[in-house]
Amino acid sequence: MGQIFRYVAMLLRAYARDRTALFFGFFFPLIFMILFGVLNLGAAARVNVGLVDEANNDDSQRFIATLSRIETFRVSRGERSDEIERLTAGDRDLVLVIPADFRVAPARPGSAVPTLTLYTNSGRPEQGAIGSSIVTQVVDQMSFAVTQTAPVISTKHEEVSGHNLRYVDFLTPGILGMTIMQSGIASVAFPFVVDRQRGVLRRIMATPISRRNFLAAHVLQRLVTLVIQVLILLGVATLMFKVTVVGSMIALLLVAILGAALFLCLGFAVTGLVATENAVPPVTQLVTLPQMFLSGVFFSKEAAPAFLRPIADYLPLTFLNDALRSVATQGSSLAEIGPQLLGLAAWIVVSFVLAFRFFRLDT
Amino acid sequence: MTTPIIDVRDLRKSYGAIEAVRGISFAVEKGEIFGLLGPNGAGKTTTVEILEGLRRADSGTAVVAGVDVRADPVGVKDRIGVQLQSSAFPEHFTAKEMIELFAIFYRRTVDALALLRAVGLEDKAGQMAEKLSGGQRQRLSIAVAMVNDPQVLFLDEPTTGLDPQARRNLWDLVREIKARGTTVLLTTHYMDEAEVLCDRVAIMDAGRILELDAPRALIGQLLGRGFTKPVVQQQADLEDVFLELTGHALRED
Repeated sequence: MGQIFRYVAMLLRAYARDRTALFFGFFFPLIFMILFGVLNLGAAARVNVGLVDEANNDDSQRFIATLSRIETFRVSRGERSDEIERLTAGDRDLVLVIPADFRVAPARPGSAVPTLTLYTNSGRPEQGAIGSSIVTQVVDQMSFAVTQTAPVISTKHEEVSGHNLRYVDFLTPGILGMTIMQSGIASVAFPFVVDRQRGVLRRIMATPISRRNFLAAHVLQRLVTLVIQVLILLGVATLMFKVTVVGSMIALLLVAILGAALFLCLGFAVTGLVATENAVPPVTQLVTLPQMFLSGVFFSKEAAPAFLRPIADYLPLTFLNDALRSVATQGSSLAEIGPQLLGLAAWIVVSFVLAFRFFRLDT
Repeated sequence: MTTPIIDVRDLRKSYGAIEAVRGISFAVEKGEIFGLLGPNGAGKTTTVEILEGLRRADSGTAVVAGVDVRADPVGVKDRIGVQLQSSAFPEHFTAKEMIELFAIFYRRTVDALALLRAVGLEDKAGQMAEKLSGGQRQRLSIAVAMVNDPQVLFLDEPTTGLDPQARRNLWDLVREIKARGTTVLLTTHYMDEAEVLCDRVAIMDAGRILELDAPRALIGQLLGRGFTKPVVQQQADLEDVFLELTGHALRED
């Protein structure tokens, strides 16, 4: 163990001097974050909501008032048939019908729960997706506030609806996921292919250090830098864009480390598949680019074309982004993101097998 | 006679259909500088890499510093120092840190400055290794090979690509290492280098050892067979001219 830690310390020292690595690891994701955050491509994510209030009672008024306070929403009201027509015409992204029996109260045993109907415009999928996820959150919070006792909950509710539904809040976990993916793969693929080509690995393997300790030190160093990257990105998001992480930071970091493990393994696998430095970018792009667009980094993954959705749903970055986003924006516990963690675990197994099969230290 | 520090018996190694080493045997005595000579592709590097525990022989035995290379390659690596052909150091480390880094690989603590002093690089301790000149890098590479206080030092074409000043400087360094009691096995295809440095040489070609003896003895045998070449009585050659004009001092480029 002493050998591993001493080696990790040396690797971190070298990393801190590597300007290229620092640029791609720290500066590059920050540029993305600031670009998308400042330009607030949330403007593109502004959602036109048509509300049809068939209940017209105190509860429905309160519900509508809550929805109207949400920055992302531009709310208008009308009759069901008119609103559906406007949805078809593209003037609305989403139409929400509040049923006549709408009320916010614990359900009486045996009686039906009031059902909200959501119509979305299939031509504007990301707005529909963002809108419906926000509506779902608001509904969840309202019913939560009712079924649980207490003023504690209602303050949380205010905070959440006030801060947590902006585009940057949506964006931040996506940028984290993207960074983990790109750094994870690139921080292994580039240095190992270059060092193998230059004969560095051969030189080190001429010393008695075991392959296991050698690789353990490299993996550990990557995990340490990834955690630092994640913390810096979160720091900037919090300070510059007032992003609030609703869930636990520990849970968020745990998910990030799982994601890092996955993409580091993929990086090792890539290293085995390419012979020269020049072949690294095309192969890594092949792995990362589709995920950047299909896995919900900048926009909801629902924005992916319908025929790609079945694939998009099972991509490694999709599981990672969904898990990070769920913790960051909805405060989900690790138990609540069980399915995503399971997906990540399955991909870790797959990529570990790939790495084990293809990675080699010698030319 | 003492036990040889390197004992090689009937070593063979093929890569597919190519027989790189075809059954060689030789022994290196403790404290000598032993040269493996031969043209490119003669099997020198393969032989050396088997002795260093980097490759497995197909058959035959090799014992280095009392350790069977095939049975315990890690044990061999722990007892020897190596300088590999066409290898490089990791980037972003100073000369001093490079020594410390390799000491970690051997689970040792070393006096890095003392090792740098021994190869004349003490004043470059804080410089990034990748910024050193070719000759300086070779000397650093020897300092790194000495971190585990090895019983045998393997040098694979140590002076290839160096200018005449740096070559001579490296020869002096190798002699100093020998004087401290370390056995040196080097490969080279420069005959002048072998002649001035090596106590004994083995001449290899096509995977076999053709002759093995002291350089003087080999020359004597050749002359004894009646060999002559047109003699131009020349008291100096172009290298002497070059060194006379540019001096013996090392260039720190």
